[in-house]
Amino acid sequence: MKLSPKLQPCRWDGLVVLLVVVLAAACALAVWSRGTDTGELTAVVTVDGVETERIPLKEFPDGERTYSGNGYTLHVRLEASQGETGLGLYVAAADCPTQDCVHTGTITRAGQSIVCLPARVIIRLEGGTVDRDAPDVVIG
Amino acid sequence: MRRFAAALLAALMTVGLCGCSWQTESPDEAREVIQVIAMDTVMIFTTYGEKSTHADYLSEDEVRRLESLLSRTDENSVIWQLNYAGGLGIDVGEEVCGLMEAAEEYAMVTDGAFDITIAPVVSAWGFTEEENRVPSQEELDKLLALVGPEHITLADDAAALTPGTQIDLGGIAKGYASDRIAEILQENNIPRATISLGGNVLAWGDRPDGTPWRVGIQDPKDPNNANAFAGMLHLTDAFAVTSGGYQRFFEKDGKTYHHIIDPATGYPADSGLTSVTVVADCDRDEVDGTPGVGTMCDALSTALFVMGEEKALDFWRSSAYDFDLVLVTEDGRVVVTDGIANEFEEIKESGYSYEVVS
Repeated sequence: MKLSPKLQPCRWDGLVVLLVVVLAAACALAVWSRGTDTGELTAVVTVDGVETERIPLKEFPDGERTYSGNGYTLHVRLEASQGETGLGLYVAAADCPTQDCVHTGTITRAGQSIVCLPARVIIRLEGGTVDRDAPDVVIG
Repeated sequence: MRRFAAALLAALMTVGLCGCSWQTESPDEAREVIQVIAMDTVMIFTTYGEKSTHADYLSEDEVRRLESLLSRTDENSVIWQLNYAGGLGIDVGEEVCGLMEAAEEYAMVTDGAFDITIAPVVSAWGFTEEENRVPSQEELDKLLALVGPEHITLADDAAALTPGTQIDLGGIAKGYASDRIAEILQENNIPRATISLGGNVLAWGDRPDGTPWRVGIQDPKDPNNANAFAGMLHLTDAFAVTSGGYQRFFEKDGKTYHHIIDPATGYPADSGLTSVTVVADCDRDEVDGTPGVGTMCDALSTALFVMGEEKALDFWRSSAYDFDLVLVTEDGRVVVTDGIANEFEEIKESGYSYEVVS
């Protein structure tokens, strides 16, 4: 079958096809890439069940921040060159009786937390690079 | 050429559309995490799905309800009233009665290794009030005389204890809470979640990328290190509960005393194990909010820790209950039962030697 000259694809048709293809690819890329972005590593602090602070580790001051609950105070510091993002948090000192929060050491990735039961303070990390091999949850 | 271009275009547009729907509906992305301190431990509820926020807060309410219902130290709780009833029968209600029946069953099948009447002995060691001391043998003998399921009478939602006997449901309360939360997840169409209640974990569904949840078992010899694991479990729709002496202990005159008391001796269990993890399937069709698989895992993890490696494995081999085990021993071994071996990952740098038993 022979097409009439008007239906023959011309150069402009090709350009339109190209444009649509590029647009579709760009849209798909934009959407897909956004899905894997989990934001920067952020410390979420709850005191007695209430979220009191949400602070990206990058903005954590070089000195220390203190969190108090139930009459006890935790001195939290930033530690550089730990883990994949290069930043971590640890409790440098606390006046709680158990000292579990101090013994926990440095937390460096999403999902990890420092807990002080006597002070009812939880410091938990969210966001950052997702390590597929890291545990989602810890028992024991 | 045109056909090819059209096909390519269609394919790309489909990809683009998929991306859109994935972004707007995406139950995987609607995630809610809340952390709760209750029942003397930290709980983390991570749920996915449209009703994730709702499910998380329902779970928190449920845990708080159970905490006040089952508390041994709150004078308004049913348990407190029963403990101080001086032998009189108390109407404890259907729920508590059901839990006490479950506890009685586990006491029977474990030959008393799990026993809710051990409470006064645990208190004598100061683990209830956190004022630790080593009780005298005379004191322990007196208290042990009141330990045992024979000191509990149950009938028609009412219960009575031998005067002096006290119960503590703390050994199954978190497991029962996980059974209750499983029902909340089911009712709210939660596709995937991890529920962590201290040593109790419910791995619900799988990870957003379709692989099983990775559940790290804390290394008992390095209990405070957030990156030290004795092994990694790969779980989908499963309960896992760990009991270990390292979770609560004190030192006196150079000796370490932990909180898991052997009802046979009144002393901290000295069975050669440092932790016991019980793993069992969570069948979504069987989730009904009554004491179930979560409760079982909680009771058995304590009991098998008391029993020690040999008896624990014998109990597992008896197939009386459907579960698997990860045992960590004092002499540096990790023993995994063959039913879970394929879902268990060794941690090379942990220094343990690994064995699979059948």
